[in-house]
Amino acid sequence: MRSALESVGYLADEGIATALFCAARLPQPLLLEGEAGVGKTEAAKALADVLETPLIRLQCYEGIDAAEALYEWNFPRQLLAIKVSEAGGRTLSEDDLFGPEYLIARPLLRAVEHRGPRPAVLLIDEIDRADDEFEAFLFELLGEATVTIPELGTVRSSHPPIAVLTSNRTRDLHDALKRRCLYHWIDYPDVQRTTAIIRARVPAASQTLAAQVAAAVQRLRSLDVQKLPGVAEAINWVLALDLLGLRELDERAVEATIGSVLKYREDLELVIGRGAAWVATGS
Amino acid sequence: MIAAPIPRPAEPDLADIAARFSALVRAAGAAVTPERAGRFASAMALAPPATVDDLYWLGRVTLVDDHSTIAVFDRVFSQVFGGLVDPADFRGDVPPPPPPSKGSTRPPKQAAPGTEGSLPEPTASTSATGDSSEGEPSAHESLTAVLSPEERLRHQDFAKLTADELADLRRLGDRMALAAPPRPGRRRTRDPSGRELDVRATLRRSRRTGGEPMVAVRRRRRRRPRRVVLICDISGSMEPYARAYLQLLMSGVGAARAEAFVFATRLTRLTRTLRAANPDAALEKAGRAAPDWSGGTRIGDSLKAFNDGYGRRGLARGAVMVVLSDGWDTGDPGVLAREMQRLSRLAFRIVWVNPRKASADYEPLTGGMAAALPYVDAFVSGHNRTALDEVLAAVASP
Repeated sequence: MRSALESVGYLADEGIATALFCAARLPQPLLLEGEAGVGKTEAAKALADVLETPLIRLQCYEGIDAAEALYEWNFPRQLLAIKVSEAGGRTLSEDDLFGPEYLIARPLLRAVEHRGPRPAVLLIDEIDRADDEFEAFLFELLGEATVTIPELGTVRSSHPPIAVLTSNRTRDLHDALKRRCLYHWIDYPDVQRTTAIIRARVPAASQTLAAQVAAAVQRLRSLDVQKLPGVAEAINWVLALDLLGLRELDERAVEATIGSVLKYREDLELVIGRGAAWVATGS
Repeated sequence: MIAAPIPRPAEPDLADIAARFSALVRAAGAAVTPERAGRFASAMALAPPATVDDLYWLGRVTLVDDHSTIAVFDRVFSQVFGGLVDPADFRGDVPPPPPPSKGSTRPPKQAAPGTEGSLPEPTASTSATGDSSEGEPSAHESLTAVLSPEERLRHQDFAKLTADELADLRRLGDRMALAAPPRPGRRRTRDPSGRELDVRATLRRSRRTGGEPMVAVRRRRRRRPRRVVLICDISGSMEPYARAYLQLLMSGVGAARAEAFVFATRLTRLTRTLRAANPDAALEKAGRAAPDWSGGTRIGDSLKAFNDGYGRRGLARGAVMVVLSDGWDTGDPGVLAREMQRLSRLAFRIVWVNPRKASADYEPLTGGMAAALPYVDAFVSGHNRTALDEVLAAVASP
């Protein structure tokens, strides 16, 4: 699993590889948690790449409801059908109006309807942003891989999707949801892995630069900053350095580009107080 | 990764191992359901673990359901499969709720696994054992260590409060639900006098009239109450008020869906604990969950833990923060000032309830209180029944 993930550019440690393997093979929804920027969303994308199946993504937000997540009736089209049948003098029964052709499938229904050959990967991103009522609404899908549409009946999946849920822990998820899921906490990767990830993501960057940035990010995490920089920030940093044509991380390079890693004024002051040279070289 | 071989190579009964190991993790305090144990067994059947590392990850992914239980799992795992592990690694505090950002949660690498036929009993219990004695604590010792805060709680002097006042506190929490000022929600709701036209609903309605829109459906933004976050000081100096304020926290959690935290030297989240139906049981559990009852005070550090672990993630954003503390801080007032500033940028308003404010000659001169005051929107006393109305008014003011 690890090497398969590596082949699609996602450098996984053993924990995340085991979690994704179990999610795909048991099969069981997987709940991923971790600090922002450690690669939760990327893990789902990588899984879809490995399995060579589509990734269907549902970004959650406050107030998301069935019409946005599951399905909706195509009202304009229904109205049009009514008008057309009126003009043509035909009668139109209700069953005609509530057929599959008037249904707009949103991500969850699309995932259930996916025809294979392999199950789709369904990424339910930042589930903690949705209202807690929304979680209950996922149970049928996660447990049975079915969706019930009152007018049409129950849609059963021939290839139940592999569900990956991510959460930033802005609130506690409901136990009933957790009970249905495998759980994995993603930690910040160590310096070697960060270096390797940077190299994989920014091929243009030199090994030296990648290693320097990985070490610098690690040093920044040892400071008392408000938002600890993650892998995403490290990659952005290297991209910024690369754009400026810098081959090495030195004091001036840090001063010029630190804004791509730290996003709070207090953090910037703290780091500049500690010294840009320290960030670059550790001394 | 070191590939240490699994100790029992001769046809182990996976279901048995899964069940017994899960029982140990459960006994150590993590909520492992039989369903999860079954999942652990199927995962092992699916991918027979070749190394202790493999087994660790299979177990952790299937049995653990929250970041806070990873430490419990690690401890039991090391005891069972890791041979002799220094108990000092696991004694003392369980990690605080905010996730550790540095370092790895992996157990120490096992060079020489030495597990015998039977699974050893885990010795320490899950709740923080506080200050345990030197050496390996026996099961009995750690049990008393766990129970003692609760005992202390029971014997604390709350005689000053009459039953009436306690009932009042409960009602206050209930009313807080109505009191928290509303914020505009994202969802909309039908309202004949609403300002926006709901085009979708208007079209839908027009199907009844042959596709001619006859009725304009209107809507407006729904208003939702702001979140209330209660942070209560339970250090020694606040002891006379602790029980009363805990009642407030509990009813706030129950009725207003508030978030509740307590701190003395460190921060403990009590929202889940206090949600239990029975007040006494909830208070007992709260006593166990917060290991630092009647200890010293580190307000600044506790607020920092709150900001880092919860506030920044969204818990405090747009919320009404209620801090119940006398402002006696043994930490650095500079830290408190900085964290209060951060909090004030996140929160909608900050209400500071300080029972010492009631006495006529009180002036907020203690280092902590003086540092915090510039960022406080309302400073009230809340030491008796009438003063509690002040608290309510402070929470409610828009």
